[in-house]
Amino acid sequence: MSNDFYKTSILPFSGIIIKLCRAYTNSQEDFEDYFQEVCLQIWRSKENFREESEWSTWVYRISLNVCLTLLKKKNGQNFVSDSLRFEETVDNYAFADESLNLLYDAIRSLSEIDRAIITLYLEEKSYQEIADIIGTNPNNIGVRIKRIKIKLKDLLDGKIN
Amino acid sequence: MEKSIESIWKEGFLKSDALVAPKVNNLYTQKSIHVIDKFKRMFRINLIAIVVFSFVFLIISYFIGIPITGALFFVMLSALVIINKRLLEGLEKIDKGVSSYEYLKAFNEWIKQQVSVNERFAAFLYPIIFLSMIIGFWFKDAEGIPLGERLVGEVLSGFPDTYLIQGIPLIAIVVIIFIVALLAIFGGRIYQWDLNIVYGRVFKKLEELMADLEELSTP
Repeated sequence: MSNDFYKTSILPFSGIIIKLCRAYTNSQEDFEDYFQEVCLQIWRSKENFREESEWSTWVYRISLNVCLTLLKKKNGQNFVSDSLRFEETVDNYAFADESLNLLYDAIRSLSEIDRAIITLYLEEKSYQEIADIIGTNPNNIGVRIKRIKIKLKDLLDGKIN
Repeated sequence: MEKSIESIWKEGFLKSDALVAPKVNNLYTQKSIHVIDKFKRMFRINLIAIVVFSFVFLIISYFIGIPITGALFFVMLSALVIINKRLLEGLEKIDKGVSSYEYLKAFNEWIKQQVSVNERFAAFLYPIIFLSMIIGFWFKDAEGIPLGERLVGEVLSGFPDTYLIQGIPLIAIVVIIFIVALLAIFGGRIYQWDLNIVYGRVFKKLEELMADLEELSTP
């Protein structure tokens, strides 16, 4: 991967890539693996980009697919996990802001797709763009976001002042 | 909860410096070491499996009356394991501290040497294994006389004009020599085929990594 490609085609979107990768990992080591794999796959897939969507949408779609694939490998067969398990972050992986840590822990307890939806929503992506990235109908996104927010509120209630 | 999740998100990231992208230049080193470590593990498991098989077959061959086959299998497979164990020691000597491209190149060189040694060995291994089976079954006891002699007796009763050399039908000798020659000629290719079945996926990954790194190093 050339430095130029990284600087012009990945780095401008690294903020959301990082936030997405963090939604699927709970240690710095895993996070770095996910991030590096995402970068590598974006670079490898660059010839397949047909300009039918924005480059950013393409990048986020690959990021999400890589995260889901790596998570699938990690969890073996338990791909769709409905259990609302609170995965605590490892100490050196925590953010400086405690509320953000709790929010991320709550996001990590959501189902795989919901993690991506809420991360993209919080990054102010439109319903249409979220639907393009996830590969679903934009009409369903709004309803789903409402449900996720209620779930997150329940999980965080009493924990954040 | 007083704050909305949107404000926790925004304010949290404003306070945090956690959005620094990890360095990606380490990626290939990690991947190279991972691919090669996987190969080493598979290679060791394969050698252990050969040792176990040769021992088990040696015992079984005694009980089913073909100890010559078992013994020859054991000798040949032991030689195979010893040769490859020595080759593996060479692989352990590759310095992990060099750049990933150098590391992969050194590994690639090792693979070429390993394949070349084993191809030459395969030209002997497969014919000898085939002969060991023929000899083993020839001398297998069949109601007091060796199975080979019994078979020749039956062939002679059906075809009395069969030409024999040292008590063995000429046609059988010709067929055996033909098969041995084929195995000697194509032993290397059989080995390559065998190698691809076991390590094909690892080699493919290695090729992809090498291609990536070569593309990286082109100005």
